[in-house]
Amino acid sequence: MDQLVQSTLAAPEGELSFFALFWQAHLIVKLVMVGLLIASVWCWAIIVDKVMLLGRMMRQMNRFENVFWSGQSLEDLYGTLQNRSNQGMAALFVAAMREWKRSHEGARPAIASLQQRIDRVMDVAIQREAERMESRLLVLASVGSAGPFIGLFGTVWGIMTSFQAIANSESTNLAVVAPGIAEALFATALGLLAAIPAVIAYNMLSNRVAKAVTRMEGFADEFSAILSRQIDQGL
Amino acid sequence: MRVGLFASMAGHSAIIVWGLLALPDAGSFPTPSVETLPVELVSVSEFTQLQLGERDADQVRDVSALAPTETPAEEVPAPVERPAEPRQVQPTPPAPTPPAPTPPEPTPPAPTLETEPEPVPDAAAEAGPAPEAAPVSEPVPAADPAPQPIVTTARPRTKPAPPRPTRQEQDFNSNQIAALLNKVEPSGGTTSNTDQPASLGTRSGRENIRMTQSELDALRSQVSACWNPPVGAAGAEDLSVRVRFNLSQSGEVSGGPEVLNSSTNPAFQAAASSAVRAVMRCAPYSLPIAKYDDWQEVILNFDPRELLGG
Repeated sequence: MDQLVQSTLAAPEGELSFFALFWQAHLIVKLVMVGLLIASVWCWAIIVDKVMLLGRMMRQMNRFENVFWSGQSLEDLYGTLQNRSNQGMAALFVAAMREWKRSHEGARPAIASLQQRIDRVMDVAIQREAERMESRLLVLASVGSAGPFIGLFGTVWGIMTSFQAIANSESTNLAVVAPGIAEALFATALGLLAAIPAVIAYNMLSNRVAKAVTRMEGFADEFSAILSRQIDQGL
Repeated sequence: MRVGLFASMAGHSAIIVWGLLALPDAGSFPTPSVETLPVELVSVSEFTQLQLGERDADQVRDVSALAPTETPAEEVPAPVERPAEPRQVQPTPPAPTPPAPTPPEPTPPAPTLETEPEPVPDAAAEAGPAPEAAPVSEPVPAADPAPQPIVTTARPRTKPAPPRPTRQEQDFNSNQIAALLNKVEPSGGTTSNTDQPASLGTRSGRENIRMTQSELDALRSQVSACWNPPVGAAGAEDLSVRVRFNLSQSGEVSGGPEVLNSSTNPAFQAAASSAVRAVMRCAPYSLPIAKYDDWQEVILNFDPRELLGG
């Protein structure tokens, strides 16, 4: 009976600031949080980068189409674009024109299957451009799908901690359980914070990439038609 | 890519800084501390077996189950004679407090004789009892030297009591009776099944708790593991054997198992001997030593019907 000691629960101070939630957390939860923060930073870096890249590419395509359909001769256009680093439609145009030029060089112009070669060259160029635009978009997709799970892992771990707190203090008082659950939910919040923009940006960017690729394919078809007419007329 | 990375890091750090500035206002809520009430569940048997405490008891005793029961014999006389002491030494109050210097003090009573001539016969008469007082006070420390410091808490109650009788010495009836009652009561202040003297209550209060059903079952299972019941004997319902045996503290069988019942069934003798064999074979038994009083003597029923599922 003398073992019965009046005991008061040491009620933990409720701290909900960012740093408090972070420092109270278990090491694994901390790692999860840090990982999610890094993922979020990386995702936003990719988002900013891709938005800028796609915007630049769209502007270049518009300018190139204006120039292309303005009636300027293809030779002149090729002369101006030849020595630049080109993107989008300009890259297609330069690739096709280079193949055209190369086929007409020499004593015996190889124009029998020139049409097919130009198509191939432009397909390759389109693929290269699409690859450049789509690179790192998969990171967004993975973060968008895995982020909530990683956050959930942190949550599960934090709730385990709070259950251990229950076991240690032999009390189901809310003050004992709350810190663990709070930090657990903070991990989930970070996961969602990283995942939501990633998912939205992935959908938006992949949609824009698809549009740009469609536009380039359309241009490639048109340009191929023009070149094919030239080849046939040249025969 | 570098532009995007820088932009992203700048944005994140801006959000974190904003969170540090804005959200601490919403943080730090004090949670009220909840006091826990100590609750102990006491079963009925525990409750009835708790030792009764007595206010007049000599000491706080740690009654162990194995304590010899001779101590009460020494303790009983002490309260009886203590009220008697002050009555005799009453004229010289300083005498009782130092028990040892009593021999030199018979001389100081001489000055007191001058003031009061009446006590002279008393003092003279008590010159004889005074040596008695010394031996009387001696056995008390001799009987229990260790509890002496503890006694100090209990003594103030017994000591102030005797001075009162001295004032009312002329009508000392009630206290005389109280002293007599005191003599009787310590011999059995507890519940019926203990013959130990009362105390101020034991420290743990659990010494006399009966064995729980599960502990009895444990003993039963230990024994039945070694029991080869008479299988196939006719009239199994008559073959229930009641065996009594004593156990030592180490769990060994000390008193030989004896069969308490008998039966006309011819197979009973075999059943009885199988039960006795089972008891002997399974020793030593592991049982809680604190409850040795309860399993010192065990009576077990060996009933073949239980094994047959009857």
